[in-house]
Amino acid sequence: MNSSSVNAQSGGDAKVAPGEELLSVANVTLRFGGVTAIQDISFDILKGEVRAIIGPNGAGKTSMLNVINGFYHPQEGTIRFRGETRTKMKPYEAAASGIARTFQNVALFTGMSTLDNIMSGRSLKMHQNFLTQMFYYGPARDEEIAHRRRVEEIIDFLEIPHIRRQPVGKLPYGLQKRVELGRALALEPDLLLLDEPMAGMNLEEKEDMSRFIIDVNQQFGTTIALIEHDMGVVMDLADRVVVLDYGKKIADGEPGEVQADQGVIDAYLGVPH
Amino acid sequence: MFYREAGQFKTSYKADQAIFPILQDRVGLGLIIVLALLVPLFGSDFLINSFMIPFLIFALASIGLNILTGYCGQLSLGTGAFMGVGAYSCYKLATIFPEVNILVHILLSGFFAAGIGCIFGLPSLRIKGLYLAITTLAAQFFLEWCFIRIPWLYNYNDSGAIEVPTRTLLGTPITGPSSTPSVRYYVILALIIFLAWIASNLIRGRIGRSWMMIRDMDIAAELMGIKPLNAKLSAFAVSSYFCGVAGALMVFMWLGAAEVESFSINVSFQVLFMVIIGGMGSLIGCFLGAAFIFGLPIFVRALPDQIGVAINASTVDHISRMVIGALIIFFLIVEPHGFARLWQIVKEKLRNWPFPYG
Ligand SMILES: Nc1ncnc2c1ncn2[C@@H]1O[C@H](COP(=O)(O)OP(=O)(O)OP(=O)(O)O)[C@@H](O)[C@H]1O
Ligand SMILES: [Mg+2]
Repeated sequence: MNSSSVNAQSGGDAKVAPGEELLSVANVTLRFGGVTAIQDISFDILKGEVRAIIGPNGAGKTSMLNVINGFYHPQEGTIRFRGETRTKMKPYEAAASGIARTFQNVALFTGMSTLDNIMSGRSLKMHQNFLTQMFYYGPARDEEIAHRRRVEEIIDFLEIPHIRRQPVGKLPYGLQKRVELGRALALEPDLLLLDEPMAGMNLEEKEDMSRFIIDVNQQFGTTIALIEHDMGVVMDLADRVVVLDYGKKIADGEPGEVQADQGVIDAYLGVPH
Repeated sequence: MFYREAGQFKTSYKADQAIFPILQDRVGLGLIIVLALLVPLFGSDFLINSFMIPFLIFALASIGLNILTGYCGQLSLGTGAFMGVGAYSCYKLATIFPEVNILVHILLSGFFAAGIGCIFGLPSLRIKGLYLAITTLAAQFFLEWCFIRIPWLYNYNDSGAIEVPTRTLLGTPITGPSSTPSVRYYVILALIIFLAWIASNLIRGRIGRSWMMIRDMDIAAELMGIKPLNAKLSAFAVSSYFCGVAGALMVFMWLGAAEVESFSINVSFQVLFMVIIGGMGSLIGCFLGAAFIFGLPIFVRALPDQIGVAINASTVDHISRMVIGALIIFFLIVEPHGFARLWQIVKEKLRNWPFPYG
C-alpha cells in the first residue's frame, strides 16, 4: 500500500516519531451505575508497537477500547493522543483524529458488499460535495475511482478478491473478520484497535490473521492495540502487554515478564482475591 | 448463458463503477426507455392517464421513501404529507411567479418539502424504528391540518381545493385541462429519468454509502467518521425532495386539482407498500412496486372480461387489496428485498442457464 494522491495522513497535526508515546491513558475510571468496569488504569502505547491488552472475561478490555475511541466517557482520568489531552470526544472525532477499530462481535454493514464495506472506511477522505456527487461528474467520479483503487489494494493485501461483490452478511465468520480489518485499514489509521480479531477462528485462519497484523504493523508502521485471549498469539505478536483483571491493571511489560508474573497466573487460574 | 458478464472484462475501475456495468443491462435499459417513448403511439389515453402517468409519479415518490427507509433505515409514514408540501409549494410558486415556467416551479417545490422533511427528521437523531414512525405520523397529521387551516395555501378558495392553471412549455400546454395526456406523459417521463439518474448517482457515492452505513450499523458508521446528524438529515432532505416533486407532479400533471385528501395517510401507506413490494433498498424495485400497485387493479378488472365472467367494481377493489395485503406479508417475512430481489434471482439463473450450477 504505497502512497498515492489520496493517501494523505488522517487528522492530527503533530507527528509522532516511532518509539515515542502515541497514546497515554492516565488514572482512568469508568463506572456503569454500580459496576466499575475500569478502575484507575494507566498505561501508554508507543508509536509503532503492538500493544496487547489481555485479561480474563469481564476484565474491562473492551470497555478500555470503548473509552479510547470515544464510545464511553470515563468518570475520572485523562486520555492523551498524539500529545493532546482530549476531553469528551465523539467516536467520529476519534476516527477523524486517526483511531480505527474492529469489534469483538463483528460489526460490519451487513447489507453492503465487501467492496462497499471497505469503501466506507474511506468516507473521511472523500470530500466531493453534494452537487458533484449528484451528477457523478468529473471530480466526484475521479475521487470515487481513486479511492476504489486504494480499496482494491487492501482487498488484494487481505487476499479476498473473490468475495469482492458479495454481501458481507452471508460470508463465513472468519472472512467477516477479515473484511472488518480491511474496513479499519481503509481509514489508514495511526492507531488501530483490534478487539479479539481471532476469536472463533480455526488455526489456519488465525495464522492468516496474525500474518496480516504483523504486515500492517511492519510495512505501514501502524500502531496496534490488540485484545486477544490466545496467549500463543500474544507472545508472538506483542511488543508489550498490559494485563487487566476485574477492571484493575495487574501487570504491564514485555510478554515474557508478564507470562511469568505470579499475579497474572493467579488471575488466569482464578485464584480468589 | 445469454446473460453474463464473462468476456466483458472491465479494464478500468471507471467502467466497473458504471451504473450498469453489464452490457445486457445497458441494452435492456435502452430498450425499456425506447418502449416507454413509444407508449403514446400505441397506447390509448386511458392507459396513459390511468396507468403510465400515476405509475411514473408514484415510482418517483417511492424512490423518495426508499432513500429514507430502504437505504437509510428510517421508517416514515409522512410521505403523503411531504408530497402535499411539494404540491402546495408549487401552487403558491405558480401563483406568485406566474411568468416562470411551471417545470421550474415543480423542481423548486421539492426544496420546500426537503426543508420541512429535515425539520421532522430531527427526532431521528434520538429515536429509532417504530417510535420514529410515530413522529412522522405526527408530521403527517400536523401537515394535513396546515393544508386545511391555512387558507393562504389554497389562495382562499371557497372549495379549499387547489386548481391547476394552464401552463405551457414551448407553446404547448403541459398542465391544466387543455393539456393532452401524451404531452404530460413525455414531460413526466423526462423528469423521472433525470431524477432517477440523480438518485442512482447519490446512492452509489459517498453520500449513499453513509446512508447505508447508518442503516446497517450506526455505531460502526460513527467509527468510520460518519456524523449521524449529517447522514440522517441528508436522507430526510433528499427523500422529501423526491416526494415533494412527486406531489407537485401528481397534482399539476395528473389530478389537475387536489385538496387535503389527496395527501392523506392512505397515500403514505400506498407508497410504503410499493417500496416493500418492489424492494427495500432498490431503485428498480421502486418502479416494479409502483407498476404492480397501479397495474394490479387494472389487470383484475380486465381479466374477467377476457374469460367472460361479470365482476363488479367493488369486488375488483377487494381482490386487489387482498392480493396486495398477502404479498406485503409474504415479502416482509420471506423476501424483504421484494420483486427486485426476485428479478436478481432470475438473472442469476439466466447467467448459469442451462447448467444447474454456476
Ligand atoms: N454498557 C455497559 N453497561 C453496563 N455494564 C457494562 C457495559 N459494558 C461493559 N460492562 C461491564 O463492564 C465489565 C467489563 O466488560 P468488558 O466488556 O470490558 O470486558 P472484557 O474484558 O472485554 O471481557 P471479554 O473478554 O468477555 O470480552 C463487565 O462486568 C461488563 O458487564
Ligand atoms: Mg471484550
